[in-house]
Amino acid sequence: MRAVNLIPSDSRAGTTPVAGRSGGAAYAVLAVLGGLALLALLYGMAHRQVSDRRAEVASVTARAQRAQAEAGQLAPYTSFIALREERMHAVSDLVDARFDWAHAFHELGRVLPSGASLTALEGNVGGGEASASASGAPAAGAATPAASSSTPAATGTATSAGGAAAAPTVTSATPPGSVPTFTVSGCATSQKQVALTLTRLRLIDGVSEVTLQSSTASSGASPAGGAGGSGNCGAGDPAFTIQVTFAPLPSSAAIGSATKLTSQTGAGR
Amino acid sequence: MTNRDRIVLIVISTVAVLAAGWLLVVSPERKKASSLKTQVDAANSQLASASGDLARARADQVRYAAAYASVVRLGKAVPAGQEVPSLMYQLAQASNRKNVEFSSITSGSGSAGSAAASASAASSASASGASASSTAAAGFTQMPFTFVFNGTFKDLYHLFQQLNGYTVRTTSGGLRVSGRLLTIQSTKLSPLSSTTTSGGAQSDRLTGTITATAYVLPASQGLTGGATQASPAGSATTPVSGATTASSPSAPAIARVTP
Repeated sequence: MRAVNLIPSDSRAGTTPVAGRSGGAAYAVLAVLGGLALLALLYGMAHRQVSDRRAEVASVTARAQRAQAEAGQLAPYTSFIALREERMHAVSDLVDARFDWAHAFHELGRVLPSGASLTALEGNVGGGEASASASGAPAAGAATPAASSSTPAATGTATSAGGAAAAPTVTSATPPGSVPTFTVSGCATSQKQVALTLTRLRLIDGVSEVTLQSSTASSGASPAGGAGGSGNCGAGDPAFTIQVTFAPLPSSAAIGSATKLTSQTGAGR
Repeated sequence: MTNRDRIVLIVISTVAVLAAGWLLVVSPERKKASSLKTQVDAANSQLASASGDLARARADQVRYAAAYASVVRLGKAVPAGQEVPSLMYQLAQASNRKNVEFSSITSGSGSAGSAAASASAASSASASGASASSTAAAGFTQMPFTFVFNGTFKDLYHLFQQLNGYTVRTTSGGLRVSGRLLTIQSTKLSPLSSTTTSGGAQSDRLTGTITATAYVLPASQGLTGGATQASPAGSATTPVSGATTASSPSAPAIARVTP
């Protein structure tokens, strides 16, 4: 006998369609609605970010413009401070570029032996050649000061003629790297004293070279030779001329760093 | 159309609708937000820069009075005009103090003429209140001079010390200004020919011939570049109080200028 299923075919287990009667359209509508809700949420968040950021940009830009305008109003102060710094720097450079004549004279007086005396002294900064020729033209210094400082004077003329306003930096009359030289003339009681003088002059602070130009013992009282020498040496006493060359003047940067170091270490106080 | 086909079609349609919504609505808005984020960052960095400038400008405003005073004092070392009388007065004072006879002063060679012209132009420019640019180059005009002093070696040594000491650098790196800045280029010491002591022996007095250079501010700049004690040139605002004010007649002669 053939079995007959009495349960209606649409109510049997496992045979109910997933799509239901609408054939899945209901699920599709739900999915679309859910998706649209999610998209709306994302759009809302993005839109809010946009409006927030627009407001922030406007606010920040306005603040920046206000700050810039205020800084612009105060710009003359900044310019003045810059002018002050520039001038400070320029004057400092000039101060640093000077040769310490007083110290050199002090050192000269300190090291000169008792058996030697000076009759004339000529010092130059920057013109090694000029001082070398100075011994041959002792009277030229006072009348033509530019002759013994040709390089610095020439620099000065160029600066003036070219218009100082156009000069980007300050030109010192004794620029860094200039070599100070002394030509000393004098008398000694003996040639040994001249030799001692040469040795002692090397002890001067900052001296790089000491060169004897002449040392001539006179038979009687005679004018001493050398640069501007008009003093008399004793009978038989040698008259000498010695050139003392100092180390070149340091650059401002070197002095600045040395000053900084001195300031930091507390040395020199 | 089978049931399965219908489901596939529905899924595809749903995904297409959602993708279209994302691409056409949400994504452009997110891109806009992202580009605005870049704008916000740029605006923030602009603000930071402007704030920094403003802070610096305000600090400069606070420092103005002190800076003005130091610029004025630096004018003692490098004046706006030639200021030969004050230089002579300074040399005479130094030589008297050091027991040295100030014999002569000669203006340097041809360059001094142009230096004088530049210097007078500078002083007239500052007198007329021309608002020279504060950022102009600080090229100074040189003024060469030759001085002759008579005195002993020791006295002349002290004089050199005095001349150098008018403007010196301190150990802290600042400047101490009490007079005209002079750069000595050459010196010549020789016995004073005409002097002998009462006993007939030669005197120990020397003639010191000094070639030195003084400096003058360029013609384009006045002493303060048109600034006054109250405010710099072209400023509508007034400086913030609290800093030291500029030098007064009762102020001490020596000024310490620290960078």
